Amino acid sequence: MSAGRLLRLVAVSWYLHLKMLHRSMFDSVMQVVWPLFFATTALLVYRATGDRDALSYAATGAAVVTVWSAVSSNASGILQRERAFGTLELLVAAPAPFSLSIMSIVLAVTTTGGYAVAATLLWSRFVFGVHLAPAWPLPFALALVATVFSFGVLGFLLAVAAVRYRAVFALGGALELPLWLACGFLVPVALLPSWLRPLSWLLPPTWGMQAVRAAAAGQSLWADLGLWAGSTAAYAAAAVWVAATVLRSARRHATLSLT
Amino acid sequence: MSVIEVSRVSRHYHVRSGLRWWRRQEIQAVRDVSFHIDAGETFGLLGPNGAGKTTIIKMLTTLLLPTAGSARVLGFDVASQPGEIRRRVGYVFGGDRGLYDRLSALDNLRYFAELYGVPARAQRQRIAYVLDLVRLAGRERERVEGYSRGMRQRLHIARGLLHDPPVLFLDEPSIGIDPVGARELRATVSALADAGKTIVLTTHYMYEADELCDRIAILRDGSIVAEGSPADLKSRVSEGEVVEAVVHSLPADAIARIQELAGVRSVTVRDLDRAQVLLVQTKPAAQLAAEIAGCLRGTAIQSLSVRAPTLEDAYVELVGGT
Amino acid sequence: MNSLRILVIGGLTTYRALFNWVSPWILVPSLLVMPLAQILLFSYIGRSAGIESDTFFVVGNAVQYSALPCLLGTASTVVGERLQRTLGIVLASPAPRLALVIGRTLPVMLNGLAVSVFGLVAGSVLLGLPVRPATLGLATLAIAVSVFGCTGLGLVSAAVGLRLRDIAVLSTILFGILLLCSGADIPRPALPGWLAAAGDWLPLAHGIAAARSVAAGGGIGGVGGDLAAEALLGLGYGMAGVLMLRLLERRSRSAGALDLT
Repeated sequence: MSAGRLLRLVAVSWYLHLKMLHRSMFDSVMQVVWPLFFATTALLVYRATGDRDALSYAATGAAVVTVWSAVSSNASGILQRERAFGTLELLVAAPAPFSLSIMSIVLAVTTTGGYAVAATLLWSRFVFGVHLAPAWPLPFALALVATVFSFGVLGFLLAVAAVRYRAVFALGGALELPLWLACGFLVPVALLPSWLRPLSWLLPPTWGMQAVRAAAAGQSLWADLGLWAGSTAAYAAAAVWVAATVLRSARRHATLSLT
Repeated sequence: MSVIEVSRVSRHYHVRSGLRWWRRQEIQAVRDVSFHIDAGETFGLLGPNGAGKTTIIKMLTTLLLPTAGSARVLGFDVASQPGEIRRRVGYVFGGDRGLYDRLSALDNLRYFAELYGVPARAQRQRIAYVLDLVRLAGRERERVEGYSRGMRQRLHIARGLLHDPPVLFLDEPSIGIDPVGARELRATVSALADAGKTIVLTTHYMYEADELCDRIAILRDGSIVAEGSPADLKSRVSEGEVVEAVVHSLPADAIARIQELAGVRSVTVRDLDRAQVLLVQTKPAAQLAAEIAGCLRGTAIQSLSVRAPTLEDAYVELVGGT
Repeated sequence: MNSLRILVIGGLTTYRALFNWVSPWILVPSLLVMPLAQILLFSYIGRSAGIESDTFFVVGNAVQYSALPCLLGTASTVVGERLQRTLGIVLASPAPRLALVIGRTLPVMLNGLAVSVFGLVAGSVLLGLPVRPATLGLATLAIAVSVFGCTGLGLVSAAVGLRLRDIAVLSTILFGILLLCSGADIPRPALPGWLAAAGDWLPLAHGIAAARSVAAGGGIGGVGGDLAAEALLGLGYGMAGVLMLRLLERRSRSAGALDLT
């Protein structure tokens, strides 16, 4: 298939899956409400210090990280859902690259995570009175989208790993809060114990968030964005490789259709 | 020319049961199966649940690898050339699943048209054509969750035909459909056969295979126990007679006594709610009705009849009466 | 006479029947990793904000997290039985209802207690806090009372969940509300007044206060009031929940509202 066709496949698949996600009120509401509880709790802790800078530091991070709650809780369940629909085998049996089909579903999930970002931004503006005025608005927005995208790529890796290892389904939820902590959204990475810091450096959202903060402060964000791009590409490549491997394994072990 | 060639294919699974997930058990789903299907043929795989029909279909549609043997579809190897095969075959299975309920039929078809690489310009026309073919035109904008089983099944077939594949796999398409829906489905399948498609159909309904298939392979416990045209299979048992008795509380030794009678070919028993159906296949002119009744002395016999064998009798004899 | 048997055996069997799809691969992340992650997240947020001590956050979150297994566990044992079509059989059986309810919730409470105590110990070790057996014993008592409170609330949410047909939403939202207003993370003076007031009338706030007090070296005498309040709340919610369930049962028999077949 040509590049144009593949792009069209991703676009159509993204649109239709988004349409389906919107038809579940429960998912839509929970995706906004659940991370908002955690964000609000964190912001109330920071507000207690009376330090406005700390509060806006946390508000920026909280807004971005809410996407991860949507992605981590849904991405690893995508395969489970396709299995339940009975469409997983059809996706595999189709000539379109399987990883592309899954990626477009993850993109749809990540898109719905955007509502939580908007809700958290509005929440911190009107409830906590935090005015976010990034020094460089355009690079700020770019870095924000980049960070969100890297969450999508992590979700993609989780989703394809779940083809073969169904326990990943539960792992997705367990990875939610660790990333809230590890990537410098609410707590500066420098404050983390030394054994945890290298792990943070290996996670693309850490660099994305650094870029967001740099743009907010009017500092150069390009080095951070470079590291973001490199690490994100590595994760994407890993996910494509995992997808090919698990599919081969699923054909051998007959694990596709198990509900 | 053979469109599908299956040569000495086997497939086993490891399963873990219940809470004891560490205990593995091996199941032989398909054992040393060989057959070939010619272009334009409708080939039936017939057998009870668990006989290996679906496993064979999954191997041919590249979803599963054979553990031994080899199979080719349209000249491509199922293990090493899955991409070539996926582009050229349609795969349809029965039951409620395999569709996105929250989307309309049209959206479902659009989605799979993309997955199957149907050119953007041809999509609208092709979707309209397949909807028309399965008689769903006019209802395509409704959500699938409101569809009846028969409609879902026809939508499945439409989905499988989107990319106009020369080979179509239908895995128990009539499962759970009401008789009217099943008849419509058979009409659709036979129209596809008339249009020149090569069709592989699995079913456990005898009349469906009899009506639709050019050739049938009967499977039992993963092996082919008979293969041929419906007429061939019928002729295997057509020389004899069938004595059918409906009885209550059949004593255990009665079957053994009947089996010992000269001229008896096979005895099968099927349990109904409150009675049992005893089927005795006999050699030509054996005239065993009275002797069989004698063996059943002391048992309440509701009815006893002698008739000519049907394809179903051939099937029952081959798969062992369940 | 055989109430105790129904209580213990019935409870354990249902719990196993409903959870038997749960493999260690699912239990470990959701019952051990997730609470630890929450404890660490808020402890570090506290350090970063320079507010309260590690102990404050470890105790608060370890106790608060038990709300999830308690709320979800209680609701899903009750609602799960409807999914498995056994609710009708259970409700129609002559077994004493109260024994049934307690039997259903006992394993849930033990599970919640284990999750909390694990979080408390593992969180303390990870953050380098001392773990003293005597203190842990008293803290376990405080946690047990808190778990009882949450399970009482779980019965109310189970009854409401039976009507709503979606228990997960309700349990999750209740968990979030408890996170906000139980004072698990937000020091009481920083808590908006109406949230603090709501917290006083919900489980956990009193239990967490008691657990913090004993963790700071306080004796059992100083927390008697909090423990009694927590236990009373649990009893109140539990009784309300059982009443609602019985009401639903009666209505379902006359109106066929629950799928009892």
